[in-house]
Amino acid sequence: MRDTYVIGAGLAGLMGALALAEAGRRPLVLAKGQGTPLWAAGTIDLWPEAPRRAIAALAETNPEHPYARIGIDAIVAAVERFQALAQAGHYPYVGSIDTTVLLPTALGALRPATLLPATMAAGDMRLGGELLIAGFRELRDFFPPLAARNLQQQGIAARGIYLDVPPIGRRLDFTTRSFAQLFDDAAFRHQIGVQLRAQRGSATRIGLPAVLGLRDPLAVVADLQDQSGVPIFEIPTLPPSVPGMRLFRLFERAIVAAGGRLQIGSEVLQGAGRDGQFQAILNGAAPRPQRHRVERLLLASGGVAGGGIRTDHTGAVWEVALGLPISAPSSRGSWFAARALDAAGHPIYRAGVATDAQLRPLDAAGKIVYRNVVVGGSALAGADTLRERARSGVSLASGWAAGQLLAQE
Amino acid sequence: MTALDHIELSLEQSLDHCIKCNICTAACPVGAVTDLFPGPKYVGPQAQRFRKPGQPSPDESVDYCSGCRVCNEVCPTGVKIMELNTRAKARIVEQRGLPLRGWLLGYQYLFGKLACGPQAAIANFFANNRLVRSLTEQVIGIARHAPLPRFSRFSFRSWFGRRTTGDRQKRQVVYFHGCATNYYEPRIGQAAVEVLEHNGFEVIIPEQGCCGLPLLSNGAFSHAKRHHEYNVARLAPYVERGIPIVGTSTSCTLTLKEEAPELLAMHDRATRMVAENTYDIFEFLRLLHEQGELKTDFQPIEAVLPYHAPCQQRAHRIGRPALDILELVPGLKLNESSAACCGLAGSYGYKAEKYQVAMDVGADLFSWVQQSGSDTAVCDSEICRWQIAHGAGVTMRHPIELLRDAYGQPADRRA
Repeated sequence: MRDTYVIGAGLAGLMGALALAEAGRRPLVLAKGQGTPLWAAGTIDLWPEAPRRAIAALAETNPEHPYARIGIDAIVAAVERFQALAQAGHYPYVGSIDTTVLLPTALGALRPATLLPATMAAGDMRLGGELLIAGFRELRDFFPPLAARNLQQQGIAARGIYLDVPPIGRRLDFTTRSFAQLFDDAAFRHQIGVQLRAQRGSATRIGLPAVLGLRDPLAVVADLQDQSGVPIFEIPTLPPSVPGMRLFRLFERAIVAAGGRLQIGSEVLQGAGRDGQFQAILNGAAPRPQRHRVERLLLASGGVAGGGIRTDHTGAVWEVALGLPISAPSSRGSWFAARALDAAGHPIYRAGVATDAQLRPLDAAGKIVYRNVVVGGSALAGADTLRERARSGVSLASGWAAGQLLAQE
Repeated sequence: MTALDHIELSLEQSLDHCIKCNICTAACPVGAVTDLFPGPKYVGPQAQRFRKPGQPSPDESVDYCSGCRVCNEVCPTGVKIMELNTRAKARIVEQRGLPLRGWLLGYQYLFGKLACGPQAAIANFFANNRLVRSLTEQVIGIARHAPLPRFSRFSFRSWFGRRTTGDRQKRQVVYFHGCATNYYEPRIGQAAVEVLEHNGFEVIIPEQGCCGLPLLSNGAFSHAKRHHEYNVARLAPYVERGIPIVGTSTSCTLTLKEEAPELLAMHDRATRMVAENTYDIFEFLRLLHEQGELKTDFQPIEAVLPYHAPCQQRAHRIGRPALDILELVPGLKLNESSAACCGLAGSYGYKAEKYQVAMDVGADLFSWVQQSGSDTAVCDSEICRWQIAHGAGVTMRHPIELLRDAYGQPADRRA
C-alpha cells in the first residue's frame, strides 16, 4: 500500500510527484480536479528579466520568498529535470535560467517567458522581421487583426488574417481541443500549410493559436514550416490550454512509469496529525470519505486561485485540505494597499503557508507544525507570483525541491 | 422544503461554481469524437440556466451525454455536471413519456429472467440472429452490432442455492451480485464468493432486484425509484445488524452508494444506511488488508495484463483498489489504461444512433489493449468488458477472477 501523498495536480504537485516517484516512494497524487496547467500558457516563467541574477538577489532583499528558501541550486536542478523530462517526451522546452524572452500574447501584448515549448520558440521578439498572425473565426477569443494592431502600435511589423477551415475539418462547433485534434491529422494541416504559403506575403514568421496538435506538436510545426516556407510559432490561447494538456500528459506518463499514481476528482477534505507528525487524510468519495494513512505528504493544492486557500468576507484566510496555519494580513482591512496598482502589490497576495528552509510548515511562533509535511507551489507564503510574473517558475522549482526533500524524510 | 427541492438547490448551487474554464469540454470523451454533443459545459451548467419549471427543455443534445462522469472527475471547482445532465434527461422523459427503447434498455433484466437457464442456447440464438438484430434496429433503434452478452445456462442464484459448502462463519457479508452476474456471468459471482469465503466470511445473498441504473440513465426516475426502494427494503435489515454489502459490479455499487439516493433525492435513514455500508469488493478487501486481515497466501501468476478502470468505478473516487490488491500477487503486473472511457457507458452504445459514437470513444482503448499483445484484459464493469471484448477482440476478466486464481481455488464453473 502507498504511504506517500501529494495533494494537488498543478505544476508543483506534478513536479513533486515526479521527484517522489523517481526516488521510489510511489506517491499517490490526490486532486480535486484537473488543475491549473490547463488554465496556463504552458511556459515556465521564472522571472521577467535575468532570472538567475534576480533570484540570487532575493536572498538579500526578500529572504521569505520561496525562491530564497529553496536556493538557486535547487532551482537550477528543477529546471534541468524539467527540460530533460520534456525532451524525453518529444515536447522539448527551450530557454535557460539566465535569460528571458518576450513572446506575443493573443492580444498582441508582450509577455516574458523563461522556458518555452519549442513550438513557441519562433515567437521570440528579438528575432525581428515581419509577423503574420493567423487564426480561425471559428476559434473563440483569438483575433489575429486585433493582435496585429496591438503589435503595430508597439512598433512591430505585423499583419493579422483569418484562415478558412478546410471542408475536412468542418464541425458544428470548435474548441481548442477540437482544433488540436484536427491538426493531428496530416491532411488537415497540409491544407492549412497551403493557405499559409499563399497568404504569407513578406512575413518572415507566422504565429498561430497554440492548438497545433496533441500527439506530436513538433511534427505539426515542422510540416507547417515546410509548406509555408517560414518559421511557425504558437501563441497561447484562453483556457483550456492545449500546451497545458500536453504538459499534464507528459507528467502523468512519467509519474506512472516511475511507480506513482494520480487520483483526479478526489478532493482532500481534511487531515489529522499530532505531536508534529501528520497521520491521515480523507478524500471525498461515494458515499463516505476514503481514508489514507500518511507517512509523508506534499501539500501543493494551490493558492486562492487554485482553490487551496480560501478567504471569506470576515477576513478569514484558511488552508483547505489540512488546516495548516496561514501567514496572512491580520484583518480584511489590511488585505489591500490603498491604490489598486500599487507598485509594492497587495499584502493578501503574499498570504500562504510559511515554511522553514526544508519547506516544512510553520506556525505563527515559527515552530514546525508537522515534520513529515512539505509545502510547494502557490500555497507557499512570501511570494506575489502574479505580480512577479513568476507563478509557474515558483511552482516548478518549489514542487521539485519539496518532493526531493520529502523523499528523504 | 421537500427532498427534491433540496437536491435541486444543491445542483443549482454547484452550477454557480462553474467558472466556464472548459476543462470538462476538453476532457469529454464524447465531445472528442462527435459534435452532436456540444460538451458538458454547454448542456450542463450553461443550459441549466434556461431549464425552468413549466418551460420546454432548451436543448435536445443532452441526450448525447453518455453519463460517463469524466466531466465531474476533472472539474477543478466541483460542479456536478453529470447529475445536471441526467436530471435534464429525466425532465424530457417526464414531459414526453418513456420511449419503448428506453423502457426495453431500462428493463433489460427482464430478458435475463426469461432467457437465463436451460433455454439459454435458444435465447442466445435469437438474440444474436442477424435478422432479429436488424429488425430490432429498424423497429426499436437498438444497434445491431452492439455487443449483447450471452445468457448463462444457469443463474448465479441457482448455483449459490445448490451449494453445500459455506459453513456458518463468525463474520458475514452480503453480496450484491447485480443482474449481469446473475444472468450472464455467474463465474464472477462464484469467484467473489470463493474469495470472500477464503477470507473467512459467510456470504449472504438476499433477495435483490436490478439496481435501477439503466432506468436512471434513461431518465426513467419514477421506475428507478421503485427499484431502489425494493433493494433498500431487502438490504437494510442486514446493514442494521452490522453486515456490510459488497458488489462486483462497479455500476451497481455506485448506484446503491450515491447515484440513486442523490438523483432520486432519497435521504431516509434506511437508504442512507445501505449507501454508507456498500462497498466495491476490492475496496472492501483493501480495507481488510489495511487492518492486516486479508489472506495473502497467493500463488504466483506470471502475467502482464492491460487493465481499464471503468468510468463508473472512477466515479466512486476510491482510487484503484483492484490494482492495490492485485499488486500483492507475486508475478502479476497490471498496466492501467489512460483512456477516459470504453464508450458504451451503460445503455448508451446500444442505441443505434450512438453505436458509432461509442465505438469511436473506445477506439484508443481498443488499440491500446491490442498493442499490449495480451489476449486477455481486465476490467471491473460488465458493460465495459463486453465493449472491450467487442472492440479489441480479447477475452475479458473481472479482477476478482484473477484474485480467486491467485488463491488457487478450484474454478467451479459447472452448473
